[in-house]
Amino acid sequence: MISKGSGMSSGSYGPALPELHKRLRWVALAGIAAFALLVGRLWQLQVMRGESYFERTVSNVVKERYLPSVRGQILDRNGVPLAANRPAFDIYATPKQMTPELHAELARMLGLDDDEVQKLDERLAIGAKHDPKAPVMILEDQGRDRAALVEQARARLPGVEVRHEPYRYYPQGELAASLIGYMTQMTADESDRLLQEGYDPSELVGRYGLEAAWENYLRGKKGVEHFAVDARGQRLDDQTASSLITGERVIDAVPGANLVLTLDAELQKLAEKAVSHQSAAAVVVVEVKTGKIRAIVSKPSFDPNVMTGHLTKAEYTMLMSDPRKPFVDKALKATYPPGSIFKFATAFAALEDGQAAEDEPIVCTGEYDLSGTHFRCHGTHGRINLLQAIQHSCDFYFWKLAERVGIDRIADVARDYGLGAPTNLGLNGDSAGRIPTKSWYEQESGHYKPGYAINAGIGQGDVEVTVLQMAMAYAAIANNGTLYVPQIVERVESNDGHLIASYDPKVEHTVKTPADAVETWKKGMYKVTNELGGTAYLHGHIEGLTVLGKTGTAEVKKHHRADDEKDRDRWNPNAAHAWFAGFAPADDPEIAIVVMVEHGGEGGDVAWPIAKQILEGYFTKIHPNGATLRDMPAVRR
Amino acid sequence: MKGLGLQLPRATVGLSRWRRFRAAVDWPLILTMLALCAIGLLNLYSATRGVKHHAKFDTQVQWMIVGGIAFVAATIVDYRALVRLAWIGLGIAGMLLIVARLIGTSPADSGHGTTYRWLNIGGMGLQPSELVKLMVILVLARVFAQSEPTHYTPRMLALRFVAIMAPVLLIAVQPDLGTAVLLSLIVLTVGFLAMPSVWPMVYVTTAGLLAIPILWEKLHGYQKDRILGFIDCGSQPVHTAAEKLLRDTCWHTQQSIYAVGSGKVWGKGFLEGTQNQFNFVPEHWTDFPYSVWAEEWGFVGSVFLLAIFAFLLVWILNVALSARDRVGSVICVGVAAMTFWHVVVNVAMVLGLAPVVGVTLPFISYGGSSLVTFFLAMGLVANVSLRKHGY
Repeated sequence: MISKGSGMSSGSYGPALPELHKRLRWVALAGIAAFALLVGRLWQLQVMRGESYFERTVSNVVKERYLPSVRGQILDRNGVPLAANRPAFDIYATPKQMTPELHAELARMLGLDDDEVQKLDERLAIGAKHDPKAPVMILEDQGRDRAALVEQARARLPGVEVRHEPYRYYPQGELAASLIGYMTQMTADESDRLLQEGYDPSELVGRYGLEAAWENYLRGKKGVEHFAVDARGQRLDDQTASSLITGERVIDAVPGANLVLTLDAELQKLAEKAVSHQSAAAVVVVEVKTGKIRAIVSKPSFDPNVMTGHLTKAEYTMLMSDPRKPFVDKALKATYPPGSIFKFATAFAALEDGQAAEDEPIVCTGEYDLSGTHFRCHGTHGRINLLQAIQHSCDFYFWKLAERVGIDRIADVARDYGLGAPTNLGLNGDSAGRIPTKSWYEQESGHYKPGYAINAGIGQGDVEVTVLQMAMAYAAIANNGTLYVPQIVERVESNDGHLIASYDPKVEHTVKTPADAVETWKKGMYKVTNELGGTAYLHGHIEGLTVLGKTGTAEVKKHHRADDEKDRDRWNPNAAHAWFAGFAPADDPEIAIVVMVEHGGEGGDVAWPIAKQILEGYFTKIHPNGATLRDMPAVRR
Repeated sequence: MKGLGLQLPRATVGLSRWRRFRAAVDWPLILTMLALCAIGLLNLYSATRGVKHHAKFDTQVQWMIVGGIAFVAATIVDYRALVRLAWIGLGIAGMLLIVARLIGTSPADSGHGTTYRWLNIGGMGLQPSELVKLMVILVLARVFAQSEPTHYTPRMLALRFVAIMAPVLLIAVQPDLGTAVLLSLIVLTVGFLAMPSVWPMVYVTTAGLLAIPILWEKLHGYQKDRILGFIDCGSQPVHTAAEKLLRDTCWHTQQSIYAVGSGKVWGKGFLEGTQNQFNFVPEHWTDFPYSVWAEEWGFVGSVFLLAIFAFLLVWILNVALSARDRVGSVICVGVAAMTFWHVVVNVAMVLGLAPVVGVTLPFISYGGSSLVTFFLAMGLVANVSLRKHGY
């Protein structure tokens, strides 16, 4: 039935395809080999490596998001909040779902400016590096309007969400800003390190002051919420998620600890008000018997509320280019020549060595001659003794003493009072300053000149100190010889008020100065503020309160004003720094105060009135001292 | 019935026509097919459970009905009649390839980029390249029907070889390298098993192997990378679209390996595969259904599915051995070769042993063209099986 011509073989029994029969063994072998290869691969993937692949697939879907911990508050000694939290709206986006269209839509809808877009891109980049499927904060602390816009348009904005998160807020504004500090988001440079330490890409980090130094206590412990996503980063519902997540789905956040400071907010306000007319100044008020800081001012300041999040590039540039350097703490970090308030070191060295006596008369001719070099005193004081020399701040007298004891002895005493070394407050740089010695000069310039001792003896030349160091030194003089480590944090409390840590006053050491030498210096200080002719007395005194003090007018190296400095009001970089250091009340000192006005002029003229105002306020409002101040007029200039 | 060429065994005289027919039907083949279809539907249900894709299940069921009709049709018409028309069929398939190249479309959601392998006929997407596979098998049956090696002069043989390979070339330039390679493998396999002398095929294979380094040098850098891509995805950022495609392909393979591996011995359970349910392997219902199966049913299920395919292959070869004539035997060998290479290449691809090429898993992959093609192919086997008693 099938013709030969059609190319078909006629039906006959026997193998239809003998070749197949012949080669069947090879066919079977090849087929078995191929299937064995596949089964072997399955064995390798599923049985040998199954466990690790299983974990991979779990991490494919199960993601975690941090639950912000409420950051600890920073409170003054009376519980007044200096740094607290308020609710805020943050806008989050998922890097993986961020398309150019979505990006454009967000920018258009919210009316983002270039700054915000740049920040947004930077944050998305950091987030994408960390985990492209985890939402990252792109706009923090947004107003209700923007939050509402995003909420309404959620369907059009895949991966974008609004979260209500506690936000750092500084109720007192600029008050003690450089002490408190501020917070910002992490920068691209540090993100690797911080992410490793368990930070979330959108978390704020303490940047300055206490916020930075006490970050570990304030931060608390973030909570974790595990959730599941599909391949596009779309979040799955909780029921589906629960079946995929082993262990706790939500671990609650632990709030950060509160810092209770030694600072007195009211005194701080008084002190900031007192320097409000100055361009740049620093004030430190410490309790002399404990070393606790009651007020610490660095001016110019900044508003930490602005620094935390909202600062625009323009504002930032302006703050950073200010010649008065608002971000250099004037009380802790910046160092200044102390001028005459440093003379205690010269006096103590001479008295201790028997090279000076309280009543030794020296004639100030107004001009001091040392091997051909002339030093000019700011007046011709005539025949005066040591107490009068302190009273008038006669340089000539101290040059004499400095020449007698030499620069190294002065340095010994200065170091004994904590100068030339960091105070160990552990904030904002806490500079060492500089107390020059003979060997220091030899190292620095190769040779030592006797004139260096003359300059150092009156706190000029290469002597540099911080305002806080001086406050601690004068507190040591006030308490007759105990040098304290300054203290700013009184205690750490948990969020619900339980004590976590409490700090006792810490004595650095007891100074070596003999009691009678200290007594002599105090007598001199009495004259400064309480007797006619005293450098401070001329500029007013406090009725009913005996203040012991010393003024200083520290000359600065002359330099031409830079162009950008010229238009600053009352900012003359060639003017001397005005200093006042003292303590009160005289019979049983309670607080020591150091005021420094940068390029402010005369210490007695400029610094003392400020100190006076603060001390008046302290002894009337903060800690009224009835006995001494009964009849004190409200305000005296 | 005679007109249709349906011959029923005469040995069952006295029994009703229906019972004789039932006795002649290749039930093991049909049952194996049905088992595979059931597994395919089960797997597809799990793979497309998302709201967006649930319609694919219904579509697949409809295609299975179409496939069933195609199977019956391919069984009833005498295969010898079909083989007579083989060259015409191949010609038509080749024409369709050219038409598809000119007016064809690439379905938006196919994920294959711009290729011209689809022909839209009355709302049904048809891939002429699938038809070419069947026609090539029939043509091979016709060519190898002659047992005497002297029947063809070398020139005639070469002419036929060129005629077979022309559509393969057309497919290769679509570009659909996967199908082209698969067709070549079918031709080679059938050649090895059906040619009286094995040497011509050895020469062709050797020439092909020798040509690989030359072809390799001709490839673009990214094409080479794509072929090597299943080895290492790299971590550098991608810039061009070609690099992105390469990275995505590599990523698919990696996710596929994770899916398979994470199934461990017993699998995660039906509908429990996270890689599958949350779409970590994109388009997993077409090219990667085996990863879905392996994730949810584990090593045990994966080997079980391979075993069914192995049984199917053994059964087809068994039909080939017991076929009444050379033509039927070669058809079966061709279908076996096609099935074998589809399974091996697809599974190897899912397991990261082969580059990602668009080769479907018979009866398991979603898609009408592939499904109907395999129904037709199995129909041809049933056809040969039905007529093996020599009538």
